[in-house]
Amino acid sequence: MAKFEAGMESMVDMYIFETTSLLEQLDQILMKTESEHSFSTEEINEIFRTMHTIKGSSAMMGLDNMSKLAHSIEDMFYVIREENPVISDMNALYDILFSASDLLKAEIELIQEEEYTATDFTPAMDKIKAFAAVLKGGAPAAPSAAPAAQTAAPVQASAAAPTASSDNELTTVKVMFDDDCKMENLRALLVVNKIAEDCEKLEYIPADIETNPETSKDIIENGFIIKFKPSSDMDIDSVVGLIGECTNVKSYEITERGRSVELVGRINVKVTFEEDCKMENLRALIVINNIKGSCKSISYEPSDIEENSATAQTIIDNGFMIHFEADDPKSVIRSINGSPNVKCCEVLSSDSTPAASAATSAAQAAAPAQAAAPSSSAAAAQPEKKSVEQINNMLGNKGAGAKQSLISVNLNKLDTLLDLVGEIVITEAMVTSNPDLKGLRLDNFQKSARQLRKLNSELQDTVMSIRMVPISGAFNKMTRIVRDMKVKLGKDVDLIFEGEETEVDKSIIDQLNDPLMHMVRNSMDHGIEDNVEDRIARGKPAKGKITLSAYNSSNEVIIVVADDGAGINAQKVLEKAERNGLLAKPMSEYSEKEIYNMIMLPGFSTNEQVTEYSGRGVGMDVVKKNIEKVGGTVSVDSKWGEGSQFIIKIPLSLSIVDGMEVSVGQSIFTIPINSIRESFKVKPSQLIKDTDGKEMIMIRGECFPLIRLYDIYDLTPGTEDLFEGIVILVETEGKCACIFADELIGEQQVVVKPFSSLLNNFNVKQNGMAGCSILGDGSITIILDVANILGGF
Amino acid sequence: MSEEIYTAEKKKTFAADGTEILFFTIGDKTYGIEIEFINEIISIEQITVVPKIPDYIKGVINLRGKIVPVISIRKRFGMEEIPYDDRTCIIVLEFETGEQVGVIVDRVQEVVVADKSIISKVPDSKNVNSNHYIKSIINNEDEIKLLLDCHKLVSNE
Repeated sequence: MAKFEAGMESMVDMYIFETTSLLEQLDQILMKTESEHSFSTEEINEIFRTMHTIKGSSAMMGLDNMSKLAHSIEDMFYVIREENPVISDMNALYDILFSASDLLKAEIELIQEEEYTATDFTPAMDKIKAFAAVLKGGAPAAPSAAPAAQTAAPVQASAAAPTASSDNELTTVKVMFDDDCKMENLRALLVVNKIAEDCEKLEYIPADIETNPETSKDIIENGFIIKFKPSSDMDIDSVVGLIGECTNVKSYEITERGRSVELVGRINVKVTFEEDCKMENLRALIVINNIKGSCKSISYEPSDIEENSATAQTIIDNGFMIHFEADDPKSVIRSINGSPNVKCCEVLSSDSTPAASAATSAAQAAAPAQAAAPSSSAAAAQPEKKSVEQINNMLGNKGAGAKQSLISVNLNKLDTLLDLVGEIVITEAMVTSNPDLKGLRLDNFQKSARQLRKLNSELQDTVMSIRMVPISGAFNKMTRIVRDMKVKLGKDVDLIFEGEETEVDKSIIDQLNDPLMHMVRNSMDHGIEDNVEDRIARGKPAKGKITLSAYNSSNEVIIVVADDGAGINAQKVLEKAERNGLLAKPMSEYSEKEIYNMIMLPGFSTNEQVTEYSGRGVGMDVVKKNIEKVGGTVSVDSKWGEGSQFIIKIPLSLSIVDGMEVSVGQSIFTIPINSIRESFKVKPSQLIKDTDGKEMIMIRGECFPLIRLYDIYDLTPGTEDLFEGIVILVETEGKCACIFADELIGEQQVVVKPFSSLLNNFNVKQNGMAGCSILGDGSITIILDVANILGGF
Repeated sequence: MSEEIYTAEKKKTFAADGTEILFFTIGDKTYGIEIEFINEIISIEQITVVPKIPDYIKGVINLRGKIVPVISIRKRFGMEEIPYDDRTCIIVLEFETGEQVGVIVDRVQEVVVADKSIISKVPDSKNVNSNHYIKSIINNEDEIKLLLDCHKLVSNE
């Protein structure tokens, strides 16, 4: 990976991971807002921040093209956010955004390849800029917004703070970065972004760090100078502390400490309440009661709030002025902010008349309390909310505040851990069922062995649970595909999720993306009817429906992709299969189910026309291959005219099963315990034969078919006498059968090792073998797939 | 083990000017396999039968925790199987995908560096070598030996 500067390589993985998840989030927001036909302020901010982060990190990685593209989108959203234009052409906006998101994603893919050349995004950027210009033209630009658009917008937007600015109230901090940390200008920007939310005023030298990489040198030589005034509920030291927390900051010193004018002596505060909250005078009284205890002296105007309800109007017009003296003014301001219905609380350093403060109320958008809570709709500036927001912002704007307790781990490490646990389980079996111990009576040993086993199985469960992730991630990706295809194919379709919280092993999820995509495409393209009339004629709603559902069933996860489209035409499939020479027996001998499953044979595609999405005949066999790779199966079911469904079954955990070992002649088979109902010796009275001589066994009034393992697997058994061997009653997916084997060997946990692809070519899975495993003595056991054995009967 | 070390050293020295080939015998015939596909050679061990697979695949063995399928060259070439003796070996092949397959042979002979000049092509005909097991023919002065195509040997076509 020579394309990145030395020292950057270790960050590439992190960058790719982060940017990919950000882009996915972006897609989700876009999808959501598109269906709602409007952006909320919060969503605009979210997109803005996402793009801002991508821009910053891309620039840090030296990926200028991506950084610039993200920048242009950020600019566009800046216009949308600041000027709130009426967006007439929402579709065009979404097209631009989706294509930009696709470009970025494609670029991320490219980066991962050896030979990487940066893609030129100029055409896309021109489009975005043109659109942004249209948006801007639609609404007259606010005078303050124009210059701010050039640089870090949120920082300078607060320039309209209510108090008159003078240098002496700013604290000056000089920040030095680690030697050789590279890209000092962007690191400086990170620092600025981190403290921006907590500062009422913020200036920095050099000012053009974002756009001008040359400033790095300046920063190295002279340090990065930040001048700030903290917001009313932050003090200078905690802001300086934030600076110190930033990465790569080597040292920082306060060169000039600002005068905390407003927070000594008598403090004047203007409080405004939420609109329409009613009875402002009484609410003001509540505020006064809240802070009375912590103030040395307090006065307020209007003063007769308690008796005179007319003061409510005065408060609405001019705000509610409080003058107080306190030892800890900050906590007082905090409790004012925390009082119910308080919209914002402005600190006015000098005595101001109600008229003067009315004038400043125009600048309330930049008032401290709101600066922290970027959403103006979330106007209730409660401290709790604010702090959560701040944490979110610091953490890259995602998730809740609990995010700090998460770490990301390289999947390879987890794989190694899982392998190790597997080895431990095998070794444990080697020790506890060691042939040397045979015939010995070792009570204490057995006790310790049981303890070991318990711990091991806990260890196993924990390791497994680490690897489990909800399937919703894989499902959510499909919304995007459906959205795109909806537009391209002109079909109206609802995508519905069910059970998306079902958890599946991470390595399986990764293998699921492609198959799911093919199946959803298939359903969109072939499943849902081209003509809405066809649907209505069949009595179905005009809007098509594709359902993705997932649920657990015994030891498997079952994922169903269902559509309510036309269904599969069995006759057509059969004819096509014949034409392509895929038939192995006479046409009349195929059952409906077999015919449906033919569409997953390599080189099969019923679609007459090759479309962008499907029809080249590579789709469904890829699905089958990928699913089989993770030890799963896929089957198709359909009803002509009513729709079709693809059913994927994958083992919940790939690796360790509790099994019962049984012997058949020389071979040892393992039957997963969760499919065993009971094992017993058969009495002659239980045996029933049908007219063909096929055997059945009667257990407590119920009759089950008998499967002789040596018979289906052509082995030489130890015994053919049914009454001498052992019979195991197995049950899976509602089907039951009795399996006959020589004898039970014992119960053991086994680590599933998949068959090599050489053997997989011979349908071992369909023949009822799920994999094999190594026993304590080094011999190999074959793990039976009960569902497939029963499927053959 | 000794074979492993030997091949690793040889690979470095001769890889440039010729192909290194391991020769082994089946009955009275000698065949070769290119050494780059060979992971190791082990003596015959307990083979676990896997049901319902073609009979030339004898089953699977436990190779230090890895489960490796084993095929019998005799069966694959339609020859009579003979009982295993102390000279019977399993040559463990490893392919680009990391997949390992064991091949049972009567006995292993030697590793020879075959110069390009003595390797000749198999005639392209529908009648001879129709299963493409033979990759090329090595004409080494006194004896003619057949180089096997490992991929074809384990493919199920």
